[in-house]
Amino acid sequence: MRLGFPVKVLGQPGLRSHDSRRWQNRPHLSVSLAYLRDTILYLERQDIRMYRMASDLAPYVVHPGLPEFHSQIEDCYTELAVVGEMATDCDLRLSFHLPLTSVLNALDETVAQQSAQLATAQARILEAMGLGPEAVIVTHVGGLYGDRDAALARFTQSHERLPPLVRRRLVLENDDKRFSVSDITWVHERTGIPLVFDYLHFKNFNPQELCMIEALERCLRSWPPGITPKIHFSSPRTAMRIIERRAPQSGSRESIMRAPRTLQHSDFVDPFQFADFLRECERFAPRGFDVMIEAKAKDLALLHLRQHMARIDTTWDCRVGN
Amino acid sequence: MTRVQETHDDLTGRVLVAVINSHRDFEIARDQGWYRIPCERAPSRVGADYLAFYQTKLFEEDRWAINYYAPIRRYRVLPRLNLLPHETEHPRAGAPYYKIEIGALRPLPRSIPSRRLRRVTFIPTTLEHLFTAEEINDLWCGTADEEKLWRVFKEKGVSAERCYPLKEDDYEHTVDFALPCRHGMAGVCIEGEPKVENVRIVRERPLIDEYEASALGWTMLGVQSPEIAGSSPACLEAILQLVSGLGGIAPAE
Repeated sequence: MRLGFPVKVLGQPGLRSHDSRRWQNRPHLSVSLAYLRDTILYLERQDIRMYRMASDLAPYVVHPGLPEFHSQIEDCYTELAVVGEMATDCDLRLSFHLPLTSVLNALDETVAQQSAQLATAQARILEAMGLGPEAVIVTHVGGLYGDRDAALARFTQSHERLPPLVRRRLVLENDDKRFSVSDITWVHERTGIPLVFDYLHFKNFNPQELCMIEALERCLRSWPPGITPKIHFSSPRTAMRIIERRAPQSGSRESIMRAPRTLQHSDFVDPFQFADFLRECERFAPRGFDVMIEAKAKDLALLHLRQHMARIDTTWDCRVGN
Repeated sequence: MTRVQETHDDLTGRVLVAVINSHRDFEIARDQGWYRIPCERAPSRVGADYLAFYQTKLFEEDRWAINYYAPIRRYRVLPRLNLLPHETEHPRAGAPYYKIEIGALRPLPRSIPSRRLRRVTFIPTTLEHLFTAEEINDLWCGTADEEKLWRVFKEKGVSAERCYPLKEDDYEHTVDFALPCRHGMAGVCIEGEPKVENVRIVRERPLIDEYEASALGWTMLGVQSPEIAGSSPACLEAILQLVSGLGGIAPAE
């Protein structure tokens, strides 16, 4: 089992996930790849074997108003291959997650097309890096628009229209308020798209009241043989939130306290919750999987979890292959 | 204003300080807009938004200082021969190099000298550090403990060097602070895990083997995070005693 984290590295100051300069300052995919190369070296030193790359690794690559950025992927074939080979040598599983602004089932055809273009760009990056089928692009179903059946149907139609290189890599995740594991199972049955089980989303949104293992099992079985499924795990935030805002009346800055919401990710993962989850999986889950840790403390949360799992779970070393 | 007019520099922008040790390489950077690093010898941090240049002793009035920086446009990976086609006989002619393409060189508001004319390889830093540094030791972005101790050294006039190699050209093993004394080198390393307020940093520097350090003529002092806390850190007296025992700080060259 590999553990991974998304995008931002917190453990090393200045280690950026991508070239985030504004278009006027001419950001470039090759600069992002230099940052990614530095990140891969850090992950190797920390023995972290899964990582989600920034969705805007190639800045403005499909921006309709900035055509000068559209050829970055072809321009960087050599550099993509070099970084991809590094990742492969490190046994590092890389992935993308489409941003929430990418909605493949959007009613607005322009939005749907742009989303498909970004998915295509990400698939082309993964191809150019020479990465195997485990390097996937995660997405959600998208918008509900007041009609669940129509929204799901529109996603399947949109999926059918995607180029084969995208369909080979696209995987679908349950979300926390619109589309449950049952909904994405419906899509899988019609498209064959593999499913990513998100633990916190499942706990927050499970209107069909599936038991956790059944939901997990559905997702794991949706992956083709030979490709290790991946899941997302996070704990809900339980700590008080301090929110900075301007006072409505006086306009002066003030800090207010707010209770957490269960939809929010916590800074770190509760290791006892994770250990219980793994124990349950060990007894009932049909196959192994990799785990993307989605916590606000990113790599620090992963390192923290790993440290505590080694202490509280006697089988931990076997699970992670130590 | 043209469409590609750059916005103002973002002070959080990442900078890679690199060494220029030949006039030819400086001319290439200035006139052709690129710099090269052999992939095999590249530092752990190559990615940056800007490249700045530490010029060595060849550069007369510009020597031993950082005087210029430039925005990075693009990285390429190419065989050395593609970069320098006339050097067919070079032993690494076929080896892959990072070609870092840059915009026009910009002079820094003030040059950043090396007080002790030390050898430098690559320093990852930020544009804010580059614009405010008084000397190259101000460029390092360390843990909260390192930054605190560095501020204390500056306030007390203790002439220390940061991230200093234990032996020449071994940049894998560096001490947090080197104190060049009249009768030998003193090294200060911060030990233990970063404290809670510093949870954002994973400390990766390898522990220095004290026997090896002694064999190389160093006298080492390890300090713990709590000894650095407070306005007058408890470790300062021990550090000053160590320096005094080694004949005091050697004057800069």
